Amino acid sequence: MIDPCDRCEEVLQPYLDRELTEAERLEAESHLDVCSYCRKRYTFEVELRRYVRQVVIEPMPAALKARLADLARETPLEA
Amino acid sequence: MSEVDPETDAVKVASGARDRVHFEEEALELADQVYRVARRLVSSREEAEDLMQETYIRAFRSWRSYTPGTNLRAWLLRILTNLNIDRGRKVQRTPDVQPLEEGDYFLYNKLEQSTGEANLDEERVLERLSQDDVVDALAAVPHNFRDVIVLVDIGDFSYQDAAQILDIPIGTVMSRLHRGRRILKGELANVATEDS
Repeated sequence: MIDPCDRCEEVLQPYLDRELTEAERLEAESHLDVCSYCRKRYTFEVELRRYVRQVVIEPMPAALKARLADLARETPLEA
Repeated sequence: MSEVDPETDAVKVASGARDRVHFEEEALELADQVYRVARRLVSSREEAEDLMQETYIRAFRSWRSYTPGTNLRAWLLRILTNLNIDRGRKVQRTPDVQPLEEGDYFLYNKLEQSTGEANLDEERVLERLSQDDVVDALAAVPHNFRDVIVLVDIGDFSYQDAAQILDIPIGTVMSRLHRGRRILKGELANVATEDS
């Protein structure tokens, strides 16, 4: 029999991405209800995704934005 | 009647110009979001800026091929990823050495281990990753996997949109995303535990 924590680790991504079947989801949730080890790692994954997204975003330089607007004016209507 | 009606022509030109201005406004409004993705598809800011300019030039030239009402952001990203491949990043063969792929708990376990304390809060574990760690780790993920992570997790594109942008089947998007995130976490474990 597969260790329930190993099974839970295996379905972490499809669970968070809502790709599991109803039965698989319930199976994962009933394990998460009783297992703080897995619960911590699931919460961490959610936080990690949010954190990665937040720190890798770099604002567009203002000069580039102005340049793109110039390009719109410079490109003929029918090319 | 074979004579061209100058008034009708003028009306056509005016309405074409109006549509084009509308297109430009919409495309420029999306530039921040397109840049966010572009910046992480390539390794330097300069490359990202060049790619943005080339993309917008092409978009303004071929604006008539965009169908109004469809996803303009995906349309722009499709141009951008194609240009990126043309720029020398040829479609990659599967790399000979596959990156090491650990399980989904690997990073957490590794970080918890490196603190020497068990049962830490998730937030405390996360604090061990600096912004540079994340940026470096993402850059270290092979292109095929990184493109999908950037489009879905940073650009908020659906699997369907990502599949169309990259011209790959949706199943491939999903498997690359799952594997790519594991590779990213493996890279994060490397960079974060090197610092300490």
